[in-house]
Amino acid sequence: MKKTFDLLTTIEYGGCSAKLPAGLLSLVLKDLPVSLDPNLMVDVDTHDDAGVYRINETTALIFTTDFFPPICSDPFEFGEIAAVNALSDVYAMGGTPLLALNLMMFSQNHIPIEVFGEILRGGDARVREAGALTIGGHTIDDHPPKYGLAVIGTVHPDKLITNAGARPGDRLVLTKSIGTGALVSGQKNGLADRQHYRAALDQMKSLNKEGEKIAGKYQVKGMTDITGFGLAGHALKMARASKVSFRIHTGKLPLLPGAFAIFEKGSIPGASFRNQEFTGNAVHFTRGVNYTMKMLVHDAQTSGGLLMAVPADLAQQMVDELNGPGSVNGAAIIGEVLEESPRRLYFE
Amino acid sequence: MKTIDTKGLTCPRPLIMLKEGLQEAAEGEELRVITDNETSLKNMLNYLRDQGAETEVNSVGKVHTISTTRTHGTLSGEDPFLYCETSAVRNNYVVCVKSDKMGGGDPDLGKLLMEIFLDNLKLQEHLPTHVILYNAGVKLAMKDSQVCSSLSELEELGCRIMLCGTCIDHYGLQYEIGVGMISNMVTITETLAAAGHVVYP
Repeated sequence: MKKTFDLLTTIEYGGCSAKLPAGLLSLVLKDLPVSLDPNLMVDVDTHDDAGVYRINETTALIFTTDFFPPICSDPFEFGEIAAVNALSDVYAMGGTPLLALNLMMFSQNHIPIEVFGEILRGGDARVREAGALTIGGHTIDDHPPKYGLAVIGTVHPDKLITNAGARPGDRLVLTKSIGTGALVSGQKNGLADRQHYRAALDQMKSLNKEGEKIAGKYQVKGMTDITGFGLAGHALKMARASKVSFRIHTGKLPLLPGAFAIFEKGSIPGASFRNQEFTGNAVHFTRGVNYTMKMLVHDAQTSGGLLMAVPADLAQQMVDELNGPGSVNGAAIIGEVLEESPRRLYFE
Repeated sequence: MKTIDTKGLTCPRPLIMLKEGLQEAAEGEELRVITDNETSLKNMLNYLRDQGAETEVNSVGKVHTISTTRTHGTLSGEDPFLYCETSAVRNNYVVCVKSDKMGGGDPDLGKLLMEIFLDNLKLQEHLPTHVILYNAGVKLAMKDSQVCSSLSELEELGCRIMLCGTCIDHYGLQYEIGVGMISNMVTITETLAAAGHVVYP
């Protein structure tokens, strides 16, 4: 039965495009009571990728969760992408995934039950690749389906990499191409080339494990992963948390093949507009940056790459290593960290 | 290898397609662009040269094929429109403000002239790509400056207002900045060197 049920028929927005708008989320979160505990190393305050709690001198726990509706047709692949996306938050903090729980919303009244098993098998395959263990989960009857993980990872408290660690003079390195939202929307509207769509799926299935390893090796102090709020949204959160500004060269952005053409044809998902509303005045574009590119930097990414602030003298060497044999992603130096300026992001 | 056929199309369309093709090409991938428009040919060659790319042109009658390769990180974010012209001289320009006064002589007059200049600059049909402020020029971008709003309007229109970070530190103005991107001499030098021409008020 494996290939008979198309998950994309169940949804309107898939993957990280289904996130609530960032601005709305901030409004809700700001009224929640804040927990104060000396061992709490990262909380919701800096809008980081995961919470971090020090349990002793040598170990801190990274705790995170992520789940979303189908991003692709094949159940096994959906499981893989959802798992890779959830595990990514641990890597973005410089940690190693340890344990995972499955979170599943699924209705057997709408979808053959075998699809359930396939999604879980796909997820588990990537959890294993990450070197972590799936130790249970929880399922609710709901339609359309949603799947993801809650993940616990570990990190030495001194090796923690937050989104608040970017320093003026650092170079910005992005480890995966952007445009997954464009390719998924293009696929839905019959505008995506089959090979291009396949390349986007392969990239979404690729763990940020290697990127994290290399970040550690090059003493990266500031890092985040690029997901539903797009490159601009996550870069903005990182620049704010680090109290700096970023300058980003759109000509150097790695783009998935086909992404530009799909956006140029006007197939732009609503998430791009929501993200643009969120970044608003904090972002400046020179006249040279055209509309399509403006929307692409706001394209919601599912299981996107890591954005790192790297000491300037090491950046090129690091990118060469990231693009080494076996990598599917076009890592690139995309900009630099500036002193805190009136705006947070300067695109050119 | 990718082939981009721009026959029958005129600037900026062929440039946009070329830029798109470059952006989507893998590093080291060969690209061929076909054009039957002499102006587009020249503009695309200018563009590629500015990106540091090697080019080769094969012409059969009025149809030209440019062969090039996507090289390491050489693609600039600049709008292809800037390359859309028949003359070899690029018409993008940078305004470079060295002081908070325009000209020598009476300082009060100098300040007034600078105010009028920036007021008029934002009304120009052909705007600068960048306004670079250095030395005492950075004072113009402070919150309490008379021209802060003019500079903000220029920024809204897509001009990059670039401030010399060393100068801001020197005058102790870190917390007074009202508009602009704090930059450094490396970027300022690159920007001035790449400008079609520079206007010093």
